[in-house]
Amino acid sequence: MKNLFSIKTAVSVMYFVAGMVIMGGIWALIAKLTKNEIPTPLATWAVFKEVIQQPFQNDADQKGIMTKLLSSLARVGIGFGLGSLFAIPIGLIMGSSKIAMRIINPMVQILKPVSPLAWFPLGLAIFQDSPKASIFMIFICCIWPTLINAAFGASHIPQDHKNVSKAFGFSTWSYLSKILLPFSLPHIITGLRLSIGIAWMVIVAGEMLSGGIGLGNFVWEEGFNGGSVAKILVAIIIIGIVGSLLDMCFTWLQKKFSYAA
Amino acid sequence: MSKASTISLTEEGVSVTTEELFEQDIKPVSIQISNVTVSFKTPKGVYTAVKEIDLTVRKGEIVALIGHSGCGKSTLMSTISGMVKPTSGEVFANGKKVTSPGPDRGIVFQNYSLLPWLTVYKNIYVAVDAALKDKTSAEKTELVETNLKMVNLWEHKDKLPGQLSGGMKQRVAIARAFSINPKILLLDEPFGALDALTKSSMHIELLKLWVMDNRQKTIIMVTHDIEEAIFLSDRVVVMNNGPAATIKEIVDIPLSRPRNKKDIVHDPAYIKIHDKLLNLLIDKFSIADI
Repeated sequence: MKNLFSIKTAVSVMYFVAGMVIMGGIWALIAKLTKNEIPTPLATWAVFKEVIQQPFQNDADQKGIMTKLLSSLARVGIGFGLGSLFAIPIGLIMGSSKIAMRIINPMVQILKPVSPLAWFPLGLAIFQDSPKASIFMIFICCIWPTLINAAFGASHIPQDHKNVSKAFGFSTWSYLSKILLPFSLPHIITGLRLSIGIAWMVIVAGEMLSGGIGLGNFVWEEGFNGGSVAKILVAIIIIGIVGSLLDMCFTWLQKKFSYAA
Repeated sequence: MSKASTISLTEEGVSVTTEELFEQDIKPVSIQISNVTVSFKTPKGVYTAVKEIDLTVRKGEIVALIGHSGCGKSTLMSTISGMVKPTSGEVFANGKKVTSPGPDRGIVFQNYSLLPWLTVYKNIYVAVDAALKDKTSAEKTELVETNLKMVNLWEHKDKLPGQLSGGMKQRVAIARAFSINPKILLLDEPFGALDALTKSSMHIELLKLWVMDNRQKTIIMVTHDIEEAIFLSDRVVVMNNGPAATIKEIVDIPLSRPRNKKDIVHDPAYIKIHDKLLNLLIDKFSIADI
Protein backbone atom coordinates (compact mmCIF):
# COMPACT_ATOMS: atom_id res chain seq x y z
CA MET A 1 0.00 0.00 0.00
CA LYS A 2 2.92 2.33 0.62
CA ASN A 3 3.68 2.23 -3.12
CA LEU A 4 0.24 3.46 -4.06
CA PHE A 5 1.68 6.35 -6.05
CA SER A 6 4.63 4.56 -7.56
CA ILE A 7 5.38 4.44 -11.27
CA LYS A 8 4.14 0.87 -11.35
CA THR A 9 0.71 1.95 -10.13
CA ALA A 10 0.65 4.80 -12.64
CA VAL A 11 1.41 2.34 -15.46
CA SER A 12 -1.38 -0.01 -14.31
CA VAL A 13 -3.80 2.90 -14.24
CA MET A 14 -2.75 3.86 -17.76
CA TYR A 15 -3.39 0.33 -19.05
CA PHE A 16 -6.75 0.33 -17.30
CA VAL A 17 -7.69 3.68 -18.88
CA ALA A 18 -6.54 2.41 -22.28
CA GLY A 19 -8.82 -0.62 -21.91
CA MET A 20 -11.75 1.58 -20.97
CA VAL A 21 -11.12 3.91 -23.90
CA ILE A 22 -11.10 0.97 -26.34
CA MET A 23 -14.30 -0.38 -24.85
CA GLY A 24 -15.90 3.08 -25.06
CA GLY A 25 -14.76 3.34 -28.67
CA ILE A 26 -16.33 0.04 -29.65
CA TRP A 27 -19.49 1.05 -27.82
CA ALA A 28 -19.63 4.42 -29.63
CA LEU A 29 -19.11 2.61 -32.94
CA ILE A 30 -21.98 0.22 -32.23
CA ALA A 31 -24.16 3.20 -31.27
CA LYS A 32 -23.32 4.82 -34.59
CA LEU A 33 -23.95 1.62 -36.56
CA THR A 34 -27.33 1.06 -34.90
CA LYS A 35 -28.24 4.72 -35.48
CA ASN A 36 -28.45 5.33 -31.72
CA GLU A 37 -30.81 2.39 -31.16
CA ILE A 38 -28.07 1.53 -28.67
CA PRO A 39 -27.37 4.88 -26.96
CA THR A 40 -23.89 6.36 -27.08
CA PRO A 41 -21.68 6.34 -23.99
CA LEU A 42 -22.37 10.01 -23.48
CA ALA A 43 -26.16 9.60 -23.68
CA THR A 44 -25.89 6.69 -21.25
CA TRP A 45 -23.78 8.81 -18.92
CA ALA A 46 -26.57 11.40 -18.83
CA VAL A 47 -29.10 8.68 -17.91
CA PHE A 48 -26.63 7.30 -15.36
CA LYS A 49 -26.45 10.68 -13.60
CA GLU A 50 -30.22 10.80 -13.57
CA VAL A 51 -30.48 7.26 -12.19
CA ILE A 52 -28.03 7.86 -9.35
CA GLN A 53 -29.94 10.84 -8.07
CA GLN A 54 -31.46 10.17 -4.66
CA PRO A 55 -29.83 6.73 -4.60
CA PHE A 56 -31.22 5.79 -1.20
CA GLN A 57 -34.77 6.85 -1.89
CA ASN A 58 -37.07 4.22 -0.42
CA ASP A 59 -40.66 5.32 -1.01
CA ALA A 60 -43.45 2.88 -1.74
CA ASP A 61 -43.58 3.72 -5.44
CA GLN A 62 -40.08 5.04 -6.03
CA LYS A 63 -36.85 3.28 -5.05
CA GLY A 64 -33.34 4.69 -5.49
CA ILE A 65 -30.72 2.67 -7.39
CA MET A 66 -28.67 2.03 -4.23
CA THR A 67 -31.75 0.74 -2.44
CA LYS A 68 -32.20 -1.74 -5.29
CA LEU A 69 -28.53 -2.66 -5.36
CA LEU A 70 -28.45 -3.23 -1.59
CA SER A 71 -31.60 -5.28 -1.81
CA SER A 72 -30.00 -7.54 -4.45
CA LEU A 73 -26.78 -7.73 -2.43
CA ALA A 74 -28.70 -8.67 0.69
CA ARG A 75 -30.39 -11.58 -1.09
CA VAL A 76 -27.09 -12.74 -2.52
CA GLY A 77 -25.49 -12.33 0.92
CA ILE A 78 -28.12 -14.41 2.72
CA GLY A 79 -28.25 -17.13 0.04
CA PHE A 80 -24.48 -17.24 -0.29
CA GLY A 81 -23.97 -17.25 3.48
CA LEU A 82 -26.43 -20.08 4.08
CA GLY A 83 -25.14 -22.04 1.09
CA SER A 84 -21.54 -21.71 2.29
CA LEU A 85 -22.42 -22.69 5.85
CA PHE A 86 -23.99 -25.81 4.41
CA ALA A 87 -21.38 -26.57 1.75
CA ILE A 88 -18.13 -26.10 3.72
CA PRO A 89 -18.70 -28.75 6.40
CA ILE A 90 -20.25 -31.22 3.96
CA GLY A 91 -17.37 -30.67 1.53
CA LEU A 92 -14.79 -31.20 4.26
CA ILE A 93 -16.51 -34.40 5.35
CA MET A 94 -16.60 -35.60 1.74
CA GLY A 95 -12.91 -34.86 1.34
CA SER A 96 -11.97 -36.56 4.60
CA SER A 97 -13.92 -39.76 4.19
CA LYS A 98 -13.89 -41.98 1.14
CA ILE A 99 -17.24 -43.45 2.17
CA ALA A 100 -18.86 -40.01 2.50
CA MET A 101 -17.37 -39.11 -0.89
CA ARG A 102 -18.89 -42.17 -2.51
CA ILE A 103 -22.31 -41.53 -0.98
CA ILE A 104 -22.53 -37.76 -1.51
CA ASN A 105 -20.69 -37.38 -4.80
CA PRO A 106 -23.38 -38.97 -7.03
CA MET A 107 -25.98 -36.56 -5.58
CA VAL A 108 -23.69 -33.63 -6.23
CA GLN A 109 -22.98 -34.74 -9.78
CA ILE A 110 -26.70 -35.01 -10.56
CA LEU A 111 -27.82 -31.77 -8.90
CA LYS A 112 -24.85 -29.59 -9.89
CA PRO A 113 -25.61 -29.27 -13.63
CA VAL A 114 -29.18 -28.11 -12.99
CA SER A 115 -29.64 -24.48 -13.98
CA PRO A 116 -30.16 -22.34 -10.89
CA LEU A 117 -33.27 -20.92 -12.53
CA ALA A 118 -34.87 -24.37 -12.48
CA TRP A 119 -34.77 -24.24 -8.70
CA PHE A 120 -36.73 -21.00 -8.62
CA PRO A 121 -40.24 -22.43 -9.16
CA LEU A 122 -39.44 -25.14 -6.61
CA GLY A 123 -38.50 -22.44 -4.11
CA LEU A 124 -41.68 -20.59 -4.95
CA ALA A 125 -43.72 -23.76 -4.32
CA ILE A 126 -41.98 -24.31 -0.99
CA PHE A 127 -41.97 -20.76 0.36
CA GLN A 128 -44.94 -19.17 -1.47
CA ASP A 129 -42.88 -15.99 -1.52
CA SER A 130 -40.79 -14.78 -4.42
CA PRO A 131 -37.95 -13.00 -2.51
CA LYS A 132 -37.50 -16.16 -0.42
CA ALA A 133 -37.53 -18.22 -3.59
CA SER A 134 -34.72 -16.02 -4.97
CA ILE A 135 -32.68 -16.60 -1.80
CA PHE A 136 -33.37 -20.33 -2.09
CA MET A 137 -32.10 -20.30 -5.66
CA ILE A 138 -28.93 -18.46 -4.63
CA PHE A 139 -28.48 -20.88 -1.73
CA ILE A 140 -28.59 -23.88 -4.07
CA CYS A 141 -26.25 -22.44 -6.68
CA CYS A 142 -23.71 -21.38 -4.03
CA ILE A 143 -23.40 -24.91 -2.68
CA TRP A 144 -21.67 -26.70 -5.54
CA PRO A 145 -18.42 -24.82 -6.20
CA THR A 146 -17.73 -24.40 -2.48
CA LEU A 147 -18.56 -28.02 -1.70
CA ILE A 148 -16.44 -29.40 -4.51
CA ASN A 149 -13.45 -27.20 -3.68
CA ALA A 150 -13.66 -27.87 0.06
CA ALA A 151 -13.76 -31.59 -0.69
CA PHE A 152 -10.78 -31.26 -3.01
CA GLY A 153 -8.81 -29.40 -0.33
CA ALA A 154 -9.61 -31.86 2.42
CA SER A 155 -8.78 -34.86 0.25
CA HIS A 156 -5.39 -33.45 -0.76
CA ILE A 157 -3.85 -32.90 2.65
CA PRO A 158 -0.20 -33.93 2.22
CA GLN A 159 0.92 -37.08 3.99
CA ASP A 160 3.60 -34.96 5.71
CA HIS A 161 0.98 -32.97 7.56
CA LYS A 162 -0.96 -36.09 8.49
CA ASN A 163 2.26 -37.65 9.78
CA VAL A 164 2.85 -34.69 12.10
CA SER A 165 -0.61 -35.22 13.52
CA LYS A 166 0.01 -38.95 13.96
CA ALA A 167 3.51 -38.61 15.37
CA PHE A 168 2.61 -36.08 18.03
CA GLY A 169 -0.80 -37.54 18.78
CA PHE A 170 -3.01 -34.59 17.78
CA SER A 171 -6.56 -34.74 19.10
CA THR A 172 -9.37 -34.73 16.55
CA TRP A 173 -10.02 -31.07 17.31
CA SER A 174 -6.32 -30.17 16.88
CA TYR A 175 -6.25 -32.04 13.60
CA LEU A 176 -9.31 -30.17 12.36
CA SER A 177 -8.22 -26.73 13.50
CA LYS A 178 -4.46 -26.97 12.92
CA ILE A 179 -4.26 -29.09 9.78
CA LEU A 180 -7.53 -29.81 7.96
CA LEU A 181 -9.03 -26.32 8.05
CA PRO A 182 -5.88 -24.27 7.39
CA PHE A 183 -4.90 -26.55 4.52
CA SER A 184 -8.38 -26.53 2.98
CA LEU A 185 -8.95 -22.81 3.49
CA PRO A 186 -7.39 -21.57 0.23
CA HIS A 187 -9.45 -24.16 -1.66
CA ILE A 188 -12.59 -23.15 0.22
CA ILE A 189 -11.97 -19.52 -0.68
CA THR A 190 -11.59 -20.49 -4.35
CA GLY A 191 -14.98 -22.21 -4.06
CA LEU A 192 -16.51 -19.17 -2.38
CA ARG A 193 -15.14 -16.94 -5.11
CA LEU A 194 -16.73 -19.08 -7.82
CA SER A 195 -19.98 -19.26 -5.83
CA ILE A 196 -20.32 -15.54 -5.33
CA GLY A 197 -19.69 -15.01 -9.05
CA ILE A 198 -22.46 -17.40 -9.99
CA ALA A 199 -24.78 -15.98 -7.32
CA TRP A 200 -24.30 -12.48 -8.66
CA MET A 201 -25.13 -13.63 -12.17
CA VAL A 202 -28.14 -15.62 -11.04
CA ILE A 203 -29.69 -12.93 -8.84
CA VAL A 204 -30.35 -10.69 -11.84
CA ALA A 205 -32.21 -13.49 -13.60
CA GLY A 206 -34.01 -14.39 -10.40
CA GLU A 207 -35.21 -10.86 -9.83
CA MET A 208 -36.42 -10.63 -13.40
CA LEU A 209 -38.61 -13.67 -12.70
CA SER A 210 -39.63 -12.70 -9.20
CA GLY A 211 -40.15 -8.97 -9.41
CA GLY A 212 -39.61 -7.23 -6.10
CA ILE A 213 -36.91 -4.68 -5.45
CA GLY A 214 -33.55 -5.30 -7.06
CA LEU A 215 -31.27 -4.79 -10.01
CA GLY A 216 -32.85 -7.57 -12.07
CA ASN A 217 -36.20 -5.94 -11.62
CA PHE A 218 -34.67 -2.58 -12.57
CA VAL A 219 -33.33 -4.02 -15.83
CA TRP A 220 -36.65 -5.58 -16.72
CA GLU A 221 -39.23 -3.07 -15.51
CA GLU A 222 -37.52 0.28 -15.93
CA GLY A 223 -35.17 -0.72 -18.71
CA PHE A 224 -36.98 -3.06 -21.06
CA ASN A 225 -40.63 -2.40 -20.19
CA GLY A 226 -39.88 1.29 -19.66
CA GLY A 227 -38.36 1.42 -23.15
CA SER A 228 -35.02 2.82 -22.00
CA VAL A 229 -32.05 0.93 -23.47
CA ALA A 230 -29.80 3.42 -21.65
CA LYS A 231 -31.15 2.21 -18.31
CA ILE A 232 -30.40 -1.37 -19.31
CA LEU A 233 -26.84 -0.31 -20.09
CA VAL A 234 -26.56 1.58 -16.80
CA ALA A 235 -27.73 -1.53 -14.97
CA ILE A 236 -25.25 -3.72 -16.87
CA ILE A 237 -22.41 -1.40 -15.89
CA ILE A 238 -23.44 -1.34 -12.23
CA ILE A 239 -23.86 -5.13 -12.14
CA GLY A 240 -20.45 -5.55 -13.79
CA ILE A 241 -18.65 -3.21 -11.43
CA VAL A 242 -20.22 -4.68 -8.29
CA GLY A 243 -19.52 -8.21 -9.54
CA SER A 244 -15.87 -7.47 -10.14
CA LEU A 245 -15.58 -5.79 -6.73
CA LEU A 246 -16.97 -8.93 -5.11
CA ASP A 247 -14.49 -11.00 -7.07
CA MET A 248 -11.63 -8.73 -5.98
CA CYS A 249 -12.58 -9.20 -2.33
CA PHE A 250 -12.22 -12.95 -2.67
CA THR A 251 -9.02 -12.68 -4.69
CA TRP A 252 -7.62 -10.62 -1.84
CA LEU A 253 -8.72 -13.27 0.66
CA GLN A 254 -7.13 -15.96 -1.51
CA LYS A 255 -3.81 -14.15 -1.43
CA LYS A 256 -4.06 -13.60 2.30
CA PHE A 257 -4.57 -17.28 3.03
CA SER A 258 -2.11 -18.93 0.71
CA TYR A 259 1.10 -20.20 2.28
CA ALA A 260 4.51 -21.00 0.95
CA ALA A 261 5.56 -24.40 2.23
CA MET B 1 31.36 -41.79 30.75
CA SER B 2 35.03 -41.90 29.83
CA LYS B 3 34.44 -44.06 26.83
CA ALA B 4 37.25 -42.35 24.99
CA SER B 5 40.00 -43.64 27.24
CA THR B 6 38.91 -47.25 27.04
CA ILE B 7 39.28 -47.54 23.30
CA SER B 8 42.67 -48.17 21.81
CA LEU B 9 43.97 -48.64 18.35
CA THR B 10 45.95 -51.81 17.61
CA GLU B 11 47.50 -53.22 14.48
CA GLU B 12 44.46 -55.37 13.85
CA GLY B 13 42.24 -52.35 13.91
CA VAL B 14 40.21 -51.22 16.85
CA SER B 15 39.89 -53.09 20.07
CA VAL B 16 37.61 -52.37 22.94
CA THR B 17 38.50 -53.21 26.52
CA THR B 18 36.42 -55.72 28.43
CA GLU B 19 35.35 -52.89 30.70
CA GLU B 20 33.84 -51.11 27.76
CA LEU B 21 32.05 -54.23 26.59
CA PHE B 22 30.70 -54.70 30.08
CA GLU B 23 29.43 -51.15 30.15
CA GLN B 24 27.69 -51.74 26.81
CA ASP B 25 26.05 -54.84 28.18
CA ILE B 26 24.53 -53.33 31.27
CA LYS B 27 22.83 -50.53 29.36
CA PRO B 28 19.14 -51.28 29.17
CA VAL B 29 17.58 -52.24 25.88
CA SER B 30 15.86 -49.29 24.27
CA ILE B 31 14.53 -50.81 21.08
CA GLN B 32 13.97 -54.46 20.30
CA ILE B 33 12.99 -55.46 16.79
CA SER B 34 12.16 -59.17 16.53
CA ASN B 35 11.57 -60.97 13.29
CA VAL B 36 9.85 -58.02 11.67
CA THR B 37 8.44 -58.31 8.16
CA VAL B 38 6.55 -55.49 6.49
CA SER B 39 4.48 -56.09 3.36
CA PHE B 40 2.23 -53.69 1.51
CA LYS B 41 -0.71 -54.48 -0.70
CA THR B 42 -0.22 -52.80 -4.06
CA PRO B 43 -2.28 -53.00 -7.25
CA LYS B 44 0.46 -55.31 -8.60
CA GLY B 45 0.23 -57.67 -5.65
CA VAL B 46 1.91 -57.91 -2.27
CA TYR B 47 5.19 -56.04 -1.95
CA THR B 48 7.48 -57.03 0.89
CA ALA B 49 9.65 -54.11 1.93
CA VAL B 50 11.67 -55.64 4.74
CA LYS B 51 11.87 -59.28 5.78
CA GLU B 52 12.61 -60.98 9.10
CA ILE B 53 14.62 -58.19 10.67
CA ASP B 54 16.16 -58.58 14.13
CA LEU B 55 17.86 -55.65 15.78
CA THR B 56 18.52 -54.60 19.35
CA VAL B 57 19.45 -51.03 20.22
CA ARG B 58 20.57 -50.03 23.71
CA LYS B 59 19.79 -46.86 25.55
CA GLY B 60 21.86 -43.86 24.51
CA GLU B 61 23.11 -45.52 21.33
CA ILE B 62 23.17 -43.74 18.01
CA VAL B 63 22.44 -46.18 15.20
CA ALA B 64 22.38 -45.34 11.51
CA LEU B 65 20.34 -47.35 9.01
CA ILE B 66 22.05 -47.12 5.66
CA GLY B 67 21.23 -48.56 2.27
CA HIS B 68 20.23 -47.72 -1.26
CA SER B 69 17.01 -45.90 -2.08
CA GLY B 70 13.98 -48.12 -1.67
CA CYS B 71 15.77 -50.66 0.52
CA GLY B 72 13.15 -50.34 3.22
CA LYS B 73 15.23 -48.47 5.78
CA SER B 74 12.56 -45.82 6.24
CA THR B 75 9.92 -48.53 6.49
CA LEU B 76 11.93 -50.30 9.17
CA MET B 77 12.22 -47.07 11.13
CA SER B 78 8.51 -46.42 10.74
CA THR B 79 7.83 -49.68 12.58
CA ILE B 80 9.69 -48.19 15.55
CA SER B 81 7.78 -44.93 15.36
CA GLY B 82 4.52 -46.82 15.03
CA MET B 83 3.58 -45.15 11.76
CA VAL B 84 3.78 -48.54 10.02
CA LYS B 85 2.55 -51.78 11.59
CA PRO B 86 4.72 -54.84 10.94
CA THR B 87 2.94 -57.56 8.97
CA SER B 88 4.61 -60.07 11.26
CA GLY B 89 7.03 -59.81 14.15
CA GLU B 90 7.15 -57.34 17.00
CA VAL B 91 8.82 -54.08 17.91
CA PHE B 92 9.38 -53.06 21.52
CA ALA B 93 10.36 -49.53 22.44
CA ASN B 94 11.15 -48.54 26.01
CA GLY B 95 9.88 -51.94 27.15
CA LYS B 96 6.46 -51.54 25.55
CA LYS B 97 5.16 -53.12 22.38
CA VAL B 98 4.80 -50.52 19.66
CA THR B 99 1.25 -50.30 18.38
CA SER B 100 1.00 -46.61 17.47
CA PRO B 101 3.11 -43.45 17.55
CA GLY B 102 3.68 -42.08 21.02
CA PRO B 103 5.36 -39.20 22.83
CA ASP B 104 8.21 -41.48 24.03
CA ARG B 105 9.46 -41.49 20.43
CA GLY B 106 10.18 -38.19 18.68
CA ILE B 107 10.30 -38.12 14.92
CA VAL B 108 12.18 -35.77 12.61
CA PHE B 109 10.82 -36.17 9.11
CA GLN B 110 12.70 -36.13 5.85
CA ASN B 111 11.08 -32.95 4.56
CA TYR B 112 10.79 -31.17 7.91
CA SER B 113 6.98 -31.48 7.91
CA LEU B 114 6.35 -28.12 9.48
CA LEU B 115 2.85 -26.72 9.18
CA PRO B 116 3.26 -23.78 6.79
CA TRP B 117 0.43 -21.70 8.30
CA LEU B 118 1.86 -21.75 11.81
CA THR B 119 4.79 -19.71 13.07
CA VAL B 120 7.96 -21.45 14.22
CA TYR B 121 6.82 -21.04 17.81
CA LYS B 122 3.31 -22.33 17.14
CA ASN B 123 4.62 -25.30 15.17
CA ILE B 124 6.46 -26.50 18.25
CA TYR B 125 3.74 -25.48 20.66
CA VAL B 126 0.98 -27.48 18.95
CA ALA B 127 3.20 -30.57 19.00
CA VAL B 128 4.04 -30.13 22.69
CA ASP B 129 0.42 -29.39 23.45
CA ALA B 130 -0.74 -32.57 21.72
CA ALA B 131 2.00 -34.89 23.01
CA LEU B 132 2.27 -33.75 26.63
CA LYS B 133 -1.32 -33.43 27.74
CA ASP B 134 -0.55 -33.53 31.47
CA LYS B 135 1.68 -30.45 31.48
CA THR B 136 0.34 -27.02 32.37
CA SER B 137 0.39 -24.36 29.70
CA ALA B 138 3.19 -22.54 31.57
CA GLU B 139 5.31 -25.69 31.44
CA LYS B 140 4.56 -26.14 27.76
CA THR B 141 5.48 -22.54 27.01
CA GLU B 142 8.75 -23.00 28.85
CA LEU B 143 9.56 -26.19 26.95
CA VAL B 144 9.01 -24.47 23.63
CA GLU B 145 11.18 -21.53 24.66
CA THR B 146 14.02 -23.71 25.99
CA ASN B 147 14.13 -25.84 22.87
CA LEU B 148 13.91 -22.94 20.46
CA LYS B 149 16.78 -21.23 22.26
CA MET B 150 18.73 -24.48 22.17
CA VAL B 151 18.69 -24.48 18.37
CA ASN B 152 19.28 -20.71 18.26
CA LEU B 153 15.98 -19.89 16.65
CA TRP B 154 14.35 -17.88 19.42
CA GLU B 155 14.64 -14.63 17.50
CA HIS B 156 12.93 -16.28 14.52
CA LYS B 157 10.02 -17.62 16.55
CA ASP B 158 7.39 -15.47 14.86
CA LYS B 159 8.39 -16.35 11.31
CA LEU B 160 6.46 -18.72 9.11
CA PRO B 161 8.33 -21.80 7.82
CA GLY B 162 8.24 -20.35 4.30
CA GLN B 163 10.49 -17.54 5.48
CA LEU B 164 13.21 -19.90 6.75
CA SER B 165 16.15 -21.58 5.02
CA GLY B 166 16.33 -25.37 4.78
CA GLY B 167 18.77 -25.63 7.66
CA MET B 168 16.62 -23.45 9.88
CA LYS B 169 13.53 -25.51 9.05
CA GLN B 170 15.41 -28.65 9.99
CA ARG B 171 16.44 -27.07 13.30
CA VAL B 172 12.80 -26.27 14.01
CA ALA B 173 11.90 -29.89 13.26
CA ILE B 174 14.67 -31.10 15.58
CA ALA B 175 13.62 -28.65 18.32
CA ARG B 176 10.06 -29.92 17.93
CA ALA B 177 11.17 -33.53 18.36
CA PHE B 178 13.37 -32.66 21.36
CA SER B 179 10.73 -30.53 23.05
CA ILE B 180 8.52 -33.50 23.85
CA ASN B 181 11.64 -34.98 25.49
CA PRO B 182 11.35 -38.44 23.94
CA LYS B 183 13.53 -41.31 25.09
CA ILE B 184 13.99 -42.32 21.48
CA LEU B 185 14.66 -39.95 18.61
CA LEU B 186 13.93 -41.17 15.10
CA LEU B 187 15.49 -39.23 12.25
CA ASP B 188 14.36 -40.04 8.70
CA GLU B 189 17.06 -38.79 6.33
CA PRO B 190 17.09 -35.62 8.40
CA PHE B 191 19.82 -33.82 6.53
CA GLY B 192 19.21 -35.23 3.07
CA ALA B 193 17.91 -31.99 1.59
CA LEU B 194 20.62 -29.75 3.02
CA ASP B 195 23.78 -28.52 1.33
CA ALA B 196 27.08 -30.03 2.48
CA LEU B 197 28.13 -27.07 4.65
CA THR B 198 24.81 -26.75 6.46
CA LYS B 199 24.76 -30.51 6.86
CA SER B 200 28.12 -30.50 8.67
CA SER B 201 27.06 -27.89 11.16
CA MET B 202 23.76 -29.69 11.73
CA HIS B 203 25.70 -32.86 12.63
CA ILE B 204 27.59 -30.96 15.29
CA GLU B 205 24.37 -29.36 16.55
CA LEU B 206 22.62 -32.71 16.81
CA LEU B 207 25.52 -34.21 18.79
CA LYS B 208 25.60 -31.13 21.02
CA LEU B 209 21.92 -31.60 21.87
CA TRP B 210 22.51 -35.28 22.50
CA VAL B 211 25.46 -34.58 24.81
CA MET B 212 23.56 -31.80 26.62
CA ASP B 213 20.96 -34.41 27.44
CA ASN B 214 23.75 -36.61 28.96
CA ARG B 215 23.64 -39.03 26.06
CA GLN B 216 20.42 -40.50 27.42
CA LYS B 217 18.48 -40.41 24.16
CA THR B 218 18.62 -43.33 21.79
CA ILE B 219 18.87 -42.05 18.24
CA ILE B 220 18.01 -44.03 15.12
CA MET B 221 18.83 -42.31 11.89
CA VAL B 222 18.04 -43.27 8.33
CA THR B 223 20.63 -42.00 5.86
CA HIS B 224 22.39 -42.83 2.63
CA ASP B 225 25.42 -40.75 3.50
CA ILE B 226 28.37 -42.89 4.64
CA GLU B 227 30.36 -40.01 6.18
CA GLU B 228 27.32 -38.83 8.10
CA ALA B 229 26.63 -42.34 9.39
CA ILE B 230 30.21 -42.82 10.61
CA PHE B 231 30.54 -39.39 12.17
CA LEU B 232 27.33 -39.61 14.16
CA SER B 233 26.74 -43.22 15.10
CA ASP B 234 27.95 -46.01 17.33
CA ARG B 235 26.78 -48.65 14.92
CA VAL B 236 25.83 -48.61 11.26
CA VAL B 237 23.22 -51.07 10.06
CA VAL B 238 23.78 -51.78 6.37
CA MET B 239 20.67 -52.99 4.56
CA ASN B 240 20.47 -55.16 1.46
CA ASN B 241 18.62 -53.89 -1.56
CA GLY B 242 14.89 -54.41 -1.53
CA PRO B 243 12.39 -55.87 -2.09
CA ALA B 244 12.31 -58.08 0.99
CA ALA B 245 15.38 -56.31 2.33
CA THR B 246 17.33 -57.78 5.20
CA ILE B 247 20.25 -56.57 7.28
CA LYS B 248 23.46 -57.15 5.35
CA GLU B 249 25.84 -56.34 8.14
CA ILE B 250 26.09 -54.29 11.31
CA VAL B 251 29.32 -52.30 11.49
CA ASP B 252 30.58 -50.98 14.82
CA ILE B 253 32.04 -47.49 14.88
CA PRO B 254 34.39 -47.54 17.86
CA LEU B 255 35.68 -44.01 17.30
CA SER B 256 36.06 -42.01 20.48
CA ARG B 257 33.69 -39.15 21.31
CA PRO B 258 33.65 -36.23 21.12
CA ARG B 259 34.51 -36.63 17.48
CA ASN B 260 36.12 -33.88 15.48
CA LYS B 261 34.78 -33.40 11.99
CA LYS B 262 38.13 -32.25 10.62
CA ASP B 263 40.45 -34.69 12.39
CA ILE B 264 38.30 -37.78 12.13
CA VAL B 265 38.77 -38.17 8.37
CA HIS B 266 42.52 -38.72 8.90
CA ASP B 267 41.97 -41.35 11.57
CA PRO B 268 43.08 -44.74 10.18
CA ALA B 269 40.16 -46.42 11.94
CA TYR B 270 37.76 -44.01 10.21
CA ILE B 271 39.31 -44.70 6.84
CA LYS B 272 39.05 -48.42 7.40
CA ILE B 273 35.37 -48.24 8.38
CA HIS B 274 34.68 -45.90 5.48
CA ASP B 275 36.21 -48.37 3.01
CA LYS B 276 34.32 -51.22 4.54
CA LEU B 277 30.99 -49.43 4.25
CA LEU B 278 31.78 -48.34 0.73
CA ASN B 279 32.49 -51.95 -0.22
CA LEU B 280 29.27 -53.10 1.38
CA LEU B 281 27.18 -50.52 -0.42
CA ILE B 282 28.84 -50.17 -3.79
CA ASP B 283 30.12 -52.89 -6.07
CA LYS B 284 31.20 -50.80 -9.01
CA PHE B 285 33.91 -48.25 -8.34
CA SER B 286 35.00 -47.21 -11.82
CA ILE B 287 33.98 -47.63 -15.40
CA ALA B 288 36.39 -50.59 -15.58
CA ASP B 289 34.06 -52.52 -13.25
CA ILE B 290 31.07 -52.30 -15.55
